[in-house]
Amino acid sequence: MHFQKKRCIAMLLAGGQGSRLKVLTEKTAKPAVPFGGKYRIIDFPLSNCVNSGIDTVGILTQYQPLELNEYIGNGQPWGLNKTHSCAQVLPPYERHDKKSGWYKGTANAIYQNIDFIERFSPDYVVILSGDHIYKMDYNAMVEFHEKNGASCTIAVRDVPLSEASRFGILNTNPDNTIYEFEEKPAKPKSTNASMGIYVFNWEVLREALIADEADPDSSNDFGKNIIPKLLHAGHKMMAYTFDGYWKDVGTIDSLWEANMELLGKEPEFNIRGDERFKIYARNNALPSSYIDAQAKISNSFIAEGSEVYGTVYHSVISTGCIVGQGAVVEDSVVMPGVMIESGAIVRHAILGENSKVCQNAVVGGVFKPNDKKNISVTSKGSVVEANTVLLPGEMR
Amino acid sequence: MNVMGIIFANDANMGGLSDKRTMGSIPFGGRYRQIDFHLSNMAAAGIRHVGIISRQNYQSLINHIGSGEEWGLELEEGGMEFLTPYAMSASHSYRGKLETLYNAMSFLDYGPEDEYVIMADSAILCNIDLTRVLSSHIDSGKDITVVTKTGIANGEKQLDLAIKLDDCGEIADLAVDYVAPAEYLASMDLFVLSKSLLKKLVKECIARNLFHMDRDLVLGSWQRGDISIHVYQFAGLAMFNENIEEYFRNSLSLLDRTTRHDLFYYNHPVYTRVRDRVPSYYGENSRVGNCIVADGCVLNGSVDASVLFRQVTVNEGCKIENCLILNDTVVGENCQLKYVILDKDVVVRPNTKLIGTPTNPIIIKRGEIV
Repeated sequence: MHFQKKRCIAMLLAGGQGSRLKVLTEKTAKPAVPFGGKYRIIDFPLSNCVNSGIDTVGILTQYQPLELNEYIGNGQPWGLNKTHSCAQVLPPYERHDKKSGWYKGTANAIYQNIDFIERFSPDYVVILSGDHIYKMDYNAMVEFHEKNGASCTIAVRDVPLSEASRFGILNTNPDNTIYEFEEKPAKPKSTNASMGIYVFNWEVLREALIADEADPDSSNDFGKNIIPKLLHAGHKMMAYTFDGYWKDVGTIDSLWEANMELLGKEPEFNIRGDERFKIYARNNALPSSYIDAQAKISNSFIAEGSEVYGTVYHSVISTGCIVGQGAVVEDSVVMPGVMIESGAIVRHAILGENSKVCQNAVVGGVFKPNDKKNISVTSKGSVVEANTVLLPGEMR
Repeated sequence: MNVMGIIFANDANMGGLSDKRTMGSIPFGGRYRQIDFHLSNMAAAGIRHVGIISRQNYQSLINHIGSGEEWGLELEEGGMEFLTPYAMSASHSYRGKLETLYNAMSFLDYGPEDEYVIMADSAILCNIDLTRVLSSHIDSGKDITVVTKTGIANGEKQLDLAIKLDDCGEIADLAVDYVAPAEYLASMDLFVLSKSLLKKLVKECIARNLFHMDRDLVLGSWQRGDISIHVYQFAGLAMFNENIEEYFRNSLSLLDRTTRHDLFYYNHPVYTRVRDRVPSYYGENSRVGNCIVADGCVLNGSVDASVLFRQVTVNEGCKIENCLILNDTVVGENCQLKYVILDKDVVVRPNTKLIGTPTNPIIIKRGEIV
């Protein structure tokens, strides 16, 4: 089989468990968690690839891959199923020399798929992770990388100093070359946080991966091992500043916040009406939504196939949900296929896919504007029985 | 299934909506085109070859259907074929369905394993299990099966083909283009017959300069005793959208839950072209009630008893009742609209007032600014 040479391909790390999303990722890999009414988290990096002209994407899966594999399928929703494009799911596999097995770390996951990458003889490889919500033109970053003649370019964003010790911090010279990388430093010297998006010259990365694999002390991780080693070896490494919206949705709170940030007249993250940079998603064959005469809806998204008979305020209602008569949904994220029966009250909650809140049940509570919101969560397919209560911050 | 499908997407009599559309590409129900219903019926029945017959204005139809991927019809040669007049060496446009079929003979030769043909018309929407229709046809031992619906004939509506049964369930009367009394069954323009018989009947008719499907092929052959007819009575919902009044009334009937479920969920899902719009956004002061809303809308005003298609914008202060608003249309601030159909890409300037009637809605044509 002949593979066309590619200037650039992307490798998307989608194998993480996302344990901080707790019940939401018990049966689902984090990249497959629903977001924004009709999307899943992975739609954002995948659509970014397509919108950046990258048509070959390897997707590295490991944890609970069934739903994710099914969702990606042949890549058709993203136009990645054509003669010279692909969305290839790459699970761990067994090799004759036993140098394989579960992906030990992010770098090892790429190492185990060197053969896949080599088929396309790419000049550049973009490494992405499947747990961030943002719109970004990767091609602009690749061009920046190429223009600067770098071996590796890392996307960075400015974070508040108080939060900098949660991130990998890049210390740069005035010309944006990186002279130091510190993983979660106690005393950060700058506020340039790595977004976990890397562009590598493939030749450089390949050698680094092979060397790293041979190092028994390495944890085979990009942030901890590959980046510091390349820096130490004197490679030219650049920081590429991205100042658009970007959100790590790795926790319940941040997932809830990111959904809320889609709402409002001028939302922090506007996914409405940008025809040039669409987010693509696998579609269900569901009819248009129905809004009943008694329904009251304000400042909310309602996706197709939903039927609303009750009140929805400041919430995201996903595909195929029912909000029953007299039910109230406020400040909540309702994932696909959820049934909220009549008289139920849902506030400050994330309701997992196909979960059910029965008649007159109460989920979550109300908080003062500046207080921390304790988000209540229901897991996929769970049921909150009639006339029962799921307390603020409680999970089921 | 050893059967192929033919869908007629003919000229539409839908006022301003059909200037640039066939019957098949008339938008319906927020996110569909009329042809989606029969395409989905056929796809769900496992039919692998579908021919779409259209005479003119078919650009919007081709654009909508593309390769047939959404219906799983893109795989095989002849999986999805557009059968248009000059695409098939006809020297003139079609006069009737039989001439179109005559020109489509080569399509009928695709899928040699297909023994039967199901013919449907995109003016009539239903969610029907065609495998049951086919087995009923085979069990009947008759030559042609006509799928029919009770309750359509009312002494006012002209039916393409009306059928009256006697007490034994045998055909007592067949009539074409007939304003039939209520006891008649209305043909849903949905027929099953063997491919070889269809070819034979079409050739016989064309040889005698006969080109009308219902009058010449069905009625004529039946009267001469050349064919036997099996009448299949469909129990589900059949929507006849043959003129603008029916179309408007049927569109708004989707506000009824039973009607909606009978059309969208009765047997199988209805597939359509995916457009990747975001979910619809309801603004702080929106008041939307008793409405069908497709994806991608941004709604701020008051909308009641209406159908909103994809990517419609309704601005603050609007009062909209009993309207159909097609995709990508923008309604400016403080407009008042009642019984209006706004075609796609229409812009309604702020403070505009348009009031139609239930039987004669105002139609604003595609792309117009009012």
